[in-house]
Amino acid sequence: MNFDENMLRSVIEEVLKEMGAASTAPAAKAAPAVSTLQAGEMSLADTGEAAKGVAPDEVVIGLAPAFGVYQHETIIHQPHSKVLREIIAGIEEEGMKWRLIRVFRTSDVSFIAHDAAEYSGSGIGIGIQSKGTTVIHQKDLPPLSNLELFSQAPLIEMDTFRQIGKNAAKYAKGEAPTPVPVRNDQMARPTYQAIAALLHIKETEHCDRDKKPQAVTVSFK
Amino acid sequence: MKSKRFEALAARPVNQDGYVQEWPEVGLIAMNSPFDPKPSIKIENGRVVEMDGKRRADFDMLDTFIADHAIRLDNAEKAMSIDSLEIARKIVDINVSRDEILDITLSVTPAKLTEIVGKLTIVEIMMGMTKMRARLMPANQCHVTNVKDNPVQIAADAAEAAVRGFAEMETTVGIARYAPFNAMALFVGAQAGRPGIMTQCALEEATELQLGMRGFTTYAETISVYGTEPVFMDGDDTPYSKAFLASCYASRGLKMRFTSGTGSEVQMGYAEGKSMLYLEARCLAVTKGAGVQGTQNGSVSCVGVPAGVPGGIRAIAAENLIAMLLDLESTTSNDQTFTHSDLRRVARSVPQLFSGTDYICSGYSATPNYDNMFAGSNWDADDYDDWNIIQRDMRIDGGLQPVKEDDVIKARNKAARALQGMFRELGLPPITDEEVEAATYARGSEDMPDRNVNEDLKAIEDMMARKVTGVDFVKALDRAGFPDVAQNIYNMLRQKVAGDYLHTASIFDKDFHVYSGVNAPNDYHGPMTGYQLSEERWEQIKNIPNAIRPEDI
Amino acid sequence: MDQELLMKQIVEQVMNAMSKGVPAPAAPGGRMTAANYPLAEKESGKIKTPTGKPFSSLSYEKVLSGELTADDMRISPETLEYQAQVAESVNREAFAGNLRRAAELIAVPDDRLLEIYNALRPYRSTKQELLDIANELDQKYGAKTAAGLVREAAQVYEQRDRLKKF
Repeated sequence: MNFDENMLRSVIEEVLKEMGAASTAPAAKAAPAVSTLQAGEMSLADTGEAAKGVAPDEVVIGLAPAFGVYQHETIIHQPHSKVLREIIAGIEEEGMKWRLIRVFRTSDVSFIAHDAAEYSGSGIGIGIQSKGTTVIHQKDLPPLSNLELFSQAPLIEMDTFRQIGKNAAKYAKGEAPTPVPVRNDQMARPTYQAIAALLHIKETEHCDRDKKPQAVTVSFK
Repeated sequence: MKSKRFEALAARPVNQDGYVQEWPEVGLIAMNSPFDPKPSIKIENGRVVEMDGKRRADFDMLDTFIADHAIRLDNAEKAMSIDSLEIARKIVDINVSRDEILDITLSVTPAKLTEIVGKLTIVEIMMGMTKMRARLMPANQCHVTNVKDNPVQIAADAAEAAVRGFAEMETTVGIARYAPFNAMALFVGAQAGRPGIMTQCALEEATELQLGMRGFTTYAETISVYGTEPVFMDGDDTPYSKAFLASCYASRGLKMRFTSGTGSEVQMGYAEGKSMLYLEARCLAVTKGAGVQGTQNGSVSCVGVPAGVPGGIRAIAAENLIAMLLDLESTTSNDQTFTHSDLRRVARSVPQLFSGTDYICSGYSATPNYDNMFAGSNWDADDYDDWNIIQRDMRIDGGLQPVKEDDVIKARNKAARALQGMFRELGLPPITDEEVEAATYARGSEDMPDRNVNEDLKAIEDMMARKVTGVDFVKALDRAGFPDVAQNIYNMLRQKVAGDYLHTASIFDKDFHVYSGVNAPNDYHGPMTGYQLSEERWEQIKNIPNAIRPEDI
Repeated sequence: MDQELLMKQIVEQVMNAMSKGVPAPAAPGGRMTAANYPLAEKESGKIKTPTGKPFSSLSYEKVLSGELTADDMRISPETLEYQAQVAESVNREAFAGNLRRAAELIAVPDDRLLEIYNALRPYRSTKQELLDIANELDQKYGAKTAAGLVREAAQVYEQRDRLKKF
């Protein structure tokens, strides 16, 4: 179907209005810090409702409800502070910016990543659960699909987290990076499934279905 | 002093597994929980007003859906009034027919079903399975995946699995965007190995449907349902969206089943303090109410949870039986690693393998487990001979048969070449002769050269934008000089027009003749009835190539 | 494309979709039962593609020549109705109901069908959006049962707080 000129104009106006609204949404500093919690070598602070980004050079990292606050390490005892630092370093290495949000409505990593992607100016987001399960997402994909999924938390080591940051940044730049090689260990389940269930129950306890994603600031010590 | 015996025992594989004690308050209990609801039903003006101790006003979404869709109300009050122990006894009584049992069990609530199977020992559950499964003859399904998402290997592994006897095959992805290649490689490989095999690709629900609509797959299985409302929501669906999805599949002539299993609710954090089996009974009631022909259940990917608690493996068999009591096609898991112990993993499969189910595994890994992208199966390609010899030992039909190395190599090579030709004709990134050779003789992806992943992903995007369909596979294969494979693909597509295979527990033989719960119903009613191995089939099963023939000595 | 032609095309598409959505006629000569199954072998004369081609006329050669396309290799509402009757003959009325709901959805184009499914997922739609979909299914495609299911969902989602939040 062909658009007439007026219709096109009104659509553009609509989009611009939305973009303006997003960029003038309360910035991180506007709201007072509601919770500053020490997490080993990192402190995370929720700073009020997160804004939807417009900067095309940003990747948003979505944290699960308990990440770095009620839980401090992944299922294989990697400190959350190091994990986050690696992801961020990966993004920065590609010359891109990053922003943190915390998702409360769910503890499901695909949704967390998808929310992060929706809040990301580039449309690319990373979601991470406390136990370490991680997803790279793109906002136009269905929530339970993904660009890259690292479903076996016991197999995700530090260099993988950096690679995840790098690849997310590359997708944000419009590149087509080679996906981080998938790893598989059939003995992960017998060893870890019960403990994974427990960690997930503890994560889920902190969900709040009615709470929008919150902006988060981090300082590493 | 330390006991040397205890030291040796501690080093055994079985002691590397994780175990937990029951914790009924959070649902960490397999079955028979003190917190499970007591069965009840009240019907007023043709509407359920109370179910399993809950009033309608207190129903959650699942209760509402089950009460409105899943129970035959005309007989419900009568069926619910029969003592659960009496129903349990009918299940193992050879003088009570499958149909008589269904008359009762299709009219009862999830709590009642849970209570009934809770009265059965594991052997009685197996007797129940023998009588209650929908299809006369058992069959088997396999997984065909690899850690590199290499399509040539998928085609070759599928062809080998076809020769070995699997009736259905499932693939999935390491990288989601590879899905179309994996699906088409599986389709071509399976049809090159043995005509009539059904194939699917496990993906996000909407994407999976899309591939089916395009004719890349012939059925779907990973349509997950869960036993509590919050977990259902985290699965990004509701009973209503899933029921709609079920109809979407049938509207495109695609067979489908739901999937569920004990432990998923605990695993995902919301078990609401109910036993795993009761929650699974709710899943199965939702499946029934959605009008789906069957289910894949038996804990599936959450097997580590029930396997960690007492009686968990019995509960898994019990949930399979509940599926059968609801007249659903039963595709009975046995498809996920849960233990380091070879003894435990065989024992776990005994109920389904010895009783026979519609699909014993869902699936058996057609590759070594390191390539199994469902995080490892309970059985893998390295176990093929064990499976065959267990069939021979017990005189049972587990769906597979011994094969000759030459036949397997021939099938693998043909599938790889057919896919090579099809890729060429469809303008996809080339499959080299080196890849074909490697796939022909490979054990797994460690023996395969790497492909250019980015080039493949780009080509996939382009192919999907070009709206390539299954019909294009037929033409491409014909042009590539594989008219027999092309005809098989055509015949599978043609079956979608007739829809016979939409029915409960369908499979095709090599001539595309369908066998299902309609024309091949299970009629077991005691010794020498039901499925009996034919002489021909027994010959096939018992003649392993490595048995010494007396006349040779 | 000029507006008049466009309008004409849209009207045609809608009319076409509506005519496909009409409930299937009963099987001539009584209902199908397990005795007629498999239909592909025993009743191939009665099965047609949604494009009106007899099942028995389908052939590999016609696919190669391009005479048959992907649009022909689909199931028709009438065939699904026959299969529903077969299901009922073996006491699978819930399954038969699903097949009948499916028969109604044949007329809905692939992309729209996927959109509707996604709209039915939790937190995706407002109540009004779901009711609009129900009306669309009902009026545009004659999909009465499917529309009923969507209306039911709208009601239950509202009660259970599963409508679109933000």
